[in-house]
Amino acid sequence: MAGKIKRQIDEIILTVAKNNQTIINITKTKLVLKGINPDKFNDQSADDPVILDKLKLIAIEFGVNKEIK
Amino acid sequence: MGIKIAYSTNKNIDGAVKEVKDQINIPDPRLVIFFSSSNFNQDEIAKGIKKSFKNADVIGCSSSGEIVSGKMLNNSVVLMAFDKEAVNDVKVEVIKDLKNSPDPQTALDSFERYYKTPVSELDFTKYFGIILIDGLSGCEEKLMEQIGTKTNISFIGGSAGDDLKFKSTYVNANGTSYTNAAVLVLIKSNVKFDILKTQSFCQLDKRFTATKVNEGQREILQLDGENAIDIYSKAIGSTNETASSKFMSFPLGVMAGDEPFVRSPQQFSEHGIKFFCNVAEGTELTLLQSTDIVKDTQSDLDKKINEFGEPSGLINFNCILRTLELQNKNQTEAYGNIFRNIPTIGFSTYGEEYIGHINQTSVMILFK
Repeated sequence: MAGKIKRQIDEIILTVAKNNQTIINITKTKLVLKGINPDKFNDQSADDPVILDKLKLIAIEFGVNKEIK
Repeated sequence: MGIKIAYSTNKNIDGAVKEVKDQINIPDPRLVIFFSSSNFNQDEIAKGIKKSFKNADVIGCSSSGEIVSGKMLNNSVVLMAFDKEAVNDVKVEVIKDLKNSPDPQTALDSFERYYKTPVSELDFTKYFGIILIDGLSGCEEKLMEQIGTKTNISFIGGSAGDDLKFKSTYVNANGTSYTNAAVLVLIKSNVKFDILKTQSFCQLDKRFTATKVNEGQREILQLDGENAIDIYSKAIGSTNETASSKFMSFPLGVMAGDEPFVRSPQQFSEHGIKFFCNVAEGTELTLLQSTDIVKDTQSDLDKKINEFGEPSGLINFNCILRTLELQNKNQTEAYGNIFRNIPTIGFSTYGEEYIGHINQTSVMILFK
């Protein structure tokens, strides 16, 4: 399976930034500082369980509750 | 009116307080921010400044060198006062017992009650935060990360210093000084503001992944699966024995696009490299090389002023490692001169705060 990491990252950014470009950039930087670089993942990126677990925790921290399929 | 600055190099606290008060010709400031050398008794100077500006919210911290328009100072106090034309409203919170509980939630809840709006919904173009933290607490990352997940408001600031004694640093709020604490202020501004983050490094073509870290100790144990000391020393063309003499010239950067968030090595430890800032496991790091601080700061500030316009005030949170480099190169006068025409205060910090905790950086807030 592939692409779940990107979908989770996109969900966090969408929920937090609500399409505001300034906040999108800042949220991406916050993720980079947490060890997840959004630019490194695309629809073909493998569903690495370690990264997905990390993202799950980050999503909770950001108050993002939507489950990603 | 709007924003006024003052400074004093008087070593007597009462004299210094009187001198800065006399320079502020705002009848009733709403907010006062000051930075003072750790050689002043921090309880006494906090009380003295608050007594001089009774109706204002007053915050500050101890420093390791101060900055005022045109000058880099030592053993001084620098102060900025904002009247109600500049600042609409202010709410100050103190997080005590920081090392045991680096949690900003109580402060953020207080901001929500005060402004009657969830912090997640506050307008980031109208509100900004200032954060001053005990610079020896080691809690900056935890605090900044948590603040960053709760709000889109920018909190910028610095880690308090103690003139390189590394014994105790202090923050203060409304006349009381604290150690092992952080002061958070959420400000509703009446004037436009903007943030400038500048650091003087170029990227080298050497990248590593932090594959094993000890986040609590700000330590990287392995880079690319190998001993971090070996990998770093080789990358900078040095030996494990001599590499530490080049730490300031070759820090690592967490890259957000082309923007580095600098992590400065502090020392080689038994098992790895200790930094002044932690790195999350799995983070990709780029080797950086230092460039000219004065030239780069002038250039970045000029660019910002071209976009933003002439500022009526500027606060500069400038890393102590930058100050030491400026001193080593006899460039402190040139650096101070960059701000000679802008009402500026600032201090040499033990760490800078913007989005996260960073090193070897200057974070500035400019007010229109």
